[in-house]
Amino acid sequence: MLKRPALLWLLLPYVLYLGALPLVDRVHPTVLGLPFLFFWLLLATLLTPAGVHLARRSDRKRGRA
Amino acid sequence: MSGDSAVATAVFGGFMVLTVALGLLAVRGRGAGGGITEWSVGGRSLGTVMIWVLMAGEGYTSFSYLGAAGWGYNFGAPVLYVIAYLSCGYAIGYVVGPTLWSYAREHGLVSITDMVAHRYGRPWLGALVAVLATVCLLPYIQLQITGMGVVVSTISYGAISLDWAYFIAFAVTTAFVVVSGLRGSAWVSVLKDVLVIGTLAFLAVYVPVHYFDGYGPFLDRLVAEKPQWLTLSGHGGSGLGGTWFATTSFLNSLTVVIFPTTVAGYLGARSADALRRNAVLLPFYNVLLFVPMLLGLAALFVVPGLTGAGSNLALFKLVVDSLPAWLVGLVGVAAALSSIVPMAVFMLVIGTMWGRSVLGLVPALHGRPRRQRFAAQTVVVAAGTLALALTYAAPNTLVRLSLISYEGMAQLVPMILLGLVWRKLTLWGALSGLAVGGVLVCALVFNGHDPLWGVNAGALALGANLVVALAVSLLGPKPADDRPDAEVLAHDPPPADPAVSGRA
Repeated sequence: MLKRPALLWLLLPYVLYLGALPLVDRVHPTVLGLPFLFFWLLLATLLTPAGVHLARRSDRKRGRA
Repeated sequence: MSGDSAVATAVFGGFMVLTVALGLLAVRGRGAGGGITEWSVGGRSLGTVMIWVLMAGEGYTSFSYLGAAGWGYNFGAPVLYVIAYLSCGYAIGYVVGPTLWSYAREHGLVSITDMVAHRYGRPWLGALVAVLATVCLLPYIQLQITGMGVVVSTISYGAISLDWAYFIAFAVTTAFVVVSGLRGSAWVSVLKDVLVIGTLAFLAVYVPVHYFDGYGPFLDRLVAEKPQWLTLSGHGGSGLGGTWFATTSFLNSLTVVIFPTTVAGYLGARSADALRRNAVLLPFYNVLLFVPMLLGLAALFVVPGLTGAGSNLALFKLVVDSLPAWLVGLVGVAAALSSIVPMAVFMLVIGTMWGRSVLGLVPALHGRPRRQRFAAQTVVVAAGTLALALTYAAPNTLVRLSLISYEGMAQLVPMILLGLVWRKLTLWGALSGLAVGGVLVCALVFNGHDPLWGVNAGALALGANLVVALAVSLLGPKPADDRPDAEVLAHDPPPADPAVSGRA
């Protein structure tokens, strides 16, 4: 884990879905009509693959090096 | 039988035949040859696409259509925990998947029970875990049978009775999984994904337009009239608050990566890198889960007053109410396949665990993969029959059952995940932890104390489990095991290492 710090990106969904929960558990402001909580969780769902991708990109760089 | 029901039933029947045919076609040319490895984990030969389809297929069950819409209807926001835990679990699967994959490949293992037997050097431990896991999985199969039964009965406009629908679910699934194993499940998943993605994308657009003149008015009305549903702890004093949401999502995210069916998918992969690529792509599938939840909320306006198990049909009430019969049939097929695919993998996993870890201990089967495969197939039929019998004799509401399954299975997390990376966790430590955690889950859930103090009962039990496991490991007896660490522990294979990913 310490040798592959980019694996910390895998914790991104935990931060977005669980850590941020107290801040985002609200109806307003609505974004594109979506209640804020739903908007946030949708955003988190789209950002999760990006986080995993960053972990993988770093691994691939190391693999080639 | 009215015209509508004839059309919908015909569409449904046609696709069921196609499903079985596809499952059988998957193993054409491979014949009945190959031992338990070919059947249980597809000969470890599935590429990224098949793994994606298969694992997405496992994650998206009939619960997604019924329970998710039903929870959305009854409570609202708490149901989003499903998306949270799947996303988190898929992300850490980036590390866990390749780790378990390489461990199984190195030592020729085909299931989690095999892994614990190898890790702790005790075949009987594998058998014990197989029995416990089966107890946790059986309700899940029953859940899929009842889920599919309700769907089929509804979309046939009542022409197919519930009892017959249960039987069809059992028969179709058993037929192809016995013959074609994991490979067939992956092929059927392709059909399933096309239908699920197609029908849900359509419903996501159609329902708001049909009933509310578009998303804007629908969401405005939702925010104005149903704000209780839109934050935790949701509507109706469910007690499912932020703490529950976080602890449940956390617990389930750990559980899903060692869930025997997930692991079957991992082990089917051709290479560690196929799993890593999959971990990037899989979370996208979760976007689809928002659809049934939103439709459950839409049903609040269209079909108010559903209660109890009836609320599970929130989505299908909308579908039957607003669509032509052939489309109703098609949505029904998508939902039915969402029962069949996970059910197939559940049965396959039970068969595998028993064929290898329980019956494999019998001298006549020991070290004989073909006989083990036959034993596994026999167990599949037995397990399916038992689940069907339970369905007729002891039906229950959908969601509670799956929560017990999950919270129970979660108690295996220290034994498997921690055990595979930390040598000091002893057999007795892992076992005592499992015993304490398991008893605690049963005590809390069956006495109605879940959640307890707003915390998921399984998470509390896992905490106790872990403390006991550590204490007994450090203070208790240390079984003699002189194998080197490299033989016992698992590691994440280095990325793009040709020695690992390219080995035949």
